[in-house]
Amino acid sequence: MKYILMMNGKRSDFEGYAKWSKEDLRANVAFMRTFSKELKDSGVFVSTEGLGWPSEAKLVRAGQNGEPITDGVFPESKEFLAGYWIIDVESPEQAYRIAARASKAPGAGGKSANMPIEVRPVLSGHTDLGL
Amino acid sequence: MKYILLMSGTRAGVEAYHAWPKQDIEAHMAVLHRINQDLTESGEFVATQGLAEPKEAKVVRGEKNGVPVTDGIFPESKEFLLGYWIVDVPNAERAYAIAGRISAASVNMPIEVRQLATHEAKSR
Repeated sequence: MKYILMMNGKRSDFEGYAKWSKEDLRANVAFMRTFSKELKDSGVFVSTEGLGWPSEAKLVRAGQNGEPITDGVFPESKEFLAGYWIIDVESPEQAYRIAARASKAPGAGGKSANMPIEVRPVLSGHTDLGL
Repeated sequence: MKYILLMSGTRAGVEAYHAWPKQDIEAHMAVLHRINQDLTESGEFVATQGLAEPKEAKVVRGEKNGVPVTDGIFPESKEFLLGYWIVDVPNAERAYAIAGRISAASVNMPIEVRQLATHEAKSR
């Protein structure tokens, strides 16, 4: 069963992250690297991506003639995807255990902020999204 | 340059979609399928993934006594990721054009376009 683990944050969370000390950032990145390596070593890793900053995000809608209309203004409360992992595991409980580990990534001051990780099954062998 | 196109919706939006007549859903899927085919043919397709229903979503925050702390309650306004496409295109404008096509195929739903942080992804 494939699950996606998502890290989301508001713009203010991203701005807070950008202000972390170099040491804290390094510890966080090192944790993420080890985490991804462990997922690979244990055979559950499918993919991972980090996304660019919310300041570069655009919302696109189709105009009358199908032309893209872009908008870069989002409400303060908007949750932006920061990155995700897709894993292939035996049970939802295993996905939650792995998410709990990601949640304990070191934060500012080296302490874990128990960052929320959203866990969702992903669809496979399906007709959604036109596959 | 790799971009991710994110389709999101509230729980109410997803329920409304499920109430569409079957032929409308099939027509919608056919257009999305066509877009995937076109992206594959143009060499811009990287990946696409649909996510399961928001009702199956959980948030995990750390653990207590070795057990993950899970929560399945979300605010009504919560925007759930429904699915994404990753495309490899020469510029942002091309990513916006593809997003516009997906939006047009999907009752003008807004599609969020973000660049992938490829340097970080590579270093992992």
